[in-house]
Amino acid sequence: MNKNSTIYWLMSSFLMLVLLCSSHGISAQNVTVSAKMDSTIIFIGGQIDLKLQLSQPEELELAFPLLTDTITGNIEIVRMNDLDTLSKENGRLLIEQNYRITSFDSGLHFVPPIVFEQASEKLGQVIQTEPMALMVVNPFEEVDPQKGIVDIKRPQDTPFHLSELYKYLPWVLGLLLLSGIVTFIALKFFGKDVPVRIFKKEEPIIPPHQRALDELERIKLEKLWQSNRVKDYYSGVTDTLRHYIEERFEIGAMEQTTDEIMESFKGVDVRDVKSIENLKQILLTADLVKFAKHEPLPDENDLSMINAYFFVNQTKEEEMKTLEEEKEEMLKSEQNEAVKE
Amino acid sequence: MEQSVDIKAINERIKEESSFVDLLTMEMNKVIVGQKHLVEGLLIGLLSDGHILLEGVPGLAKTLAINTLATIVDAKFSRIQFTPDLLPADLLGTMIYSQKKEEFIVKQGPIFTNFVLADEINRAPAKVQSALLEAMQERQVTIGETTYPLEEPFLVMATQNPVEQEGTYPLPEAQVDRFMLKLVLDYPKKDEEQMIIRHNLAKTFPKASCILKPEDIIRARQVVKDVYMDEKIEKYIVDITFATRYPEQYGLEKFKDMISFGASPRASISLSMASKAFAFIKRRGYVIPEDVRAICHDVLRHRIGLSYEAEANNVTSEEIISEILNQVEVP
Repeated sequence: MNKNSTIYWLMSSFLMLVLLCSSHGISAQNVTVSAKMDSTIIFIGGQIDLKLQLSQPEELELAFPLLTDTITGNIEIVRMNDLDTLSKENGRLLIEQNYRITSFDSGLHFVPPIVFEQASEKLGQVIQTEPMALMVVNPFEEVDPQKGIVDIKRPQDTPFHLSELYKYLPWVLGLLLLSGIVTFIALKFFGKDVPVRIFKKEEPIIPPHQRALDELERIKLEKLWQSNRVKDYYSGVTDTLRHYIEERFEIGAMEQTTDEIMESFKGVDVRDVKSIENLKQILLTADLVKFAKHEPLPDENDLSMINAYFFVNQTKEEEMKTLEEEKEEMLKSEQNEAVKE
Repeated sequence: MEQSVDIKAINERIKEESSFVDLLTMEMNKVIVGQKHLVEGLLIGLLSDGHILLEGVPGLAKTLAINTLATIVDAKFSRIQFTPDLLPADLLGTMIYSQKKEEFIVKQGPIFTNFVLADEINRAPAKVQSALLEAMQERQVTIGETTYPLEEPFLVMATQNPVEQEGTYPLPEAQVDRFMLKLVLDYPKKDEEQMIIRHNLAKTFPKASCILKPEDIIRARQVVKDVYMDEKIEKYIVDITFATRYPEQYGLEKFKDMISFGASPRASISLSMASKAFAFIKRRGYVIPEDVRAICHDVLRHRIGLSYEAEANNVTSEEIISEILNQVEVP
């Protein structure tokens, strides 16, 4: 070996060493990328996830490729997630980005390597993923035009499941709550009590005549005129009758004078005209007692009470009996007759 | 506290003292065709010592009515046409210098009479209106340094034209309140108007006869004062007045924003006085709710202040009073 060749060998060795050292510098960056799909086979229109991963030293700032709506002409991106840093150990970062992809063309599709262009430019070498393949299977029968024209198939019925409604549940509950609050406020605003009938026992409806008769009975038992409270006696009797008239005939008797009440009865069909005469007697006597210090005779007081009873009984609304009640009554009367015989 | 009242005695007195009522009405009806409400209102005003504000278009026998009343009662009557240039002195009187006596003497104005017709009261400025209304209230007039009491009975009937409002001085609420009644006159009915035409064409105007003396009216007024009004009726009157002030307390929330001010205590007094007079006319020694209701509109219609909201909704005081009467419980 001559001197020149020795120098050449030494220089070559030095150059190799320099090159090796510089290549060690690039590999020290140790930037790796990978692409992984959930599956390599999907049905047509099916969706799978494509994961792009980038492993890099912490101090580097490398960008992911900008994929918009397709990976290739046949593979479409449905949704794209944000970048996610998976780990941060030993001065390295593992960054991941997920793409939901689909395809509407059957066949074997080639997924080309995805190039990290910005990273490639920075590092001076091509950073890209491995190429992959995606098989898109068409599960449906191929249409054979030779078989003739057939009807379009109707959408298939799927069985209803309660879980389908779960997504509406918060809305329904929210609306119910809102309507409850609105109703409560509205009732409060208009000064009405909030009805809580479900907790209340329904009170029996007492017919107006029954209420009037009960009230007259109470006034009678109080013995007002006997204890020199004639005014109270007549006020009680007339108020009872006026309330009864209001409920029974829908005449605003509480806000009407005697003349007006009698005038209102002109348009009312009353069975017994005498009862109206009785009412007039009571009201006129009461007016004299209430406003003119009239002191009627005891007989007059009794007559007014009798007339009040008579008026209520003669003008009361006939109770409608049910068929069963009528049958029961008939049976009872037949039984009574049989016993008599 | 219950007063000891002998209703029978009052009834007897009323029978005696009210005998003129039918005669007076008959005489009035001889001259005035129709306008029964006006005649009744005049009588109530006369008997309850109250003044009357009349509202109606011209030509509804307002002057004739009060003139006839003056003839029937044998009383003095003055008609004063209110104009924008009228002065208080033109109404009340003034001091004039007498050259003969070489001193100032009092020249009494037309107000010194029994019955005054203040025609178109809203045409005169406020100072003249005030002078009249003060005299109405105090029943006396001061000229110079001397105070002169007005003659009894003293009844003022003022008229207002509801149509022409231009160049008028509407009466302030405080002044209007001094009128016991406000009567609204309507046109006569067809047959009544036919009768008026006949009277005018034939020039045969019936003449009213003098059947009363002013003293009879003063005596009748005393009896009217004695007409018995039960506590229940008093409460009823108070309820009606309060319903104009606080309608929401009587189930009339809808009128709360429509009434800017309700009737004054003077309204309650007028309502009770007029009710008594009405009972007297009906020959009764006691007041019943019918009496209150009969005169309620006339007493209250000018005492309820309507808000802009009421005017915008075309709600009148008449409607409010009717609703109040339908809502307030009758004793």
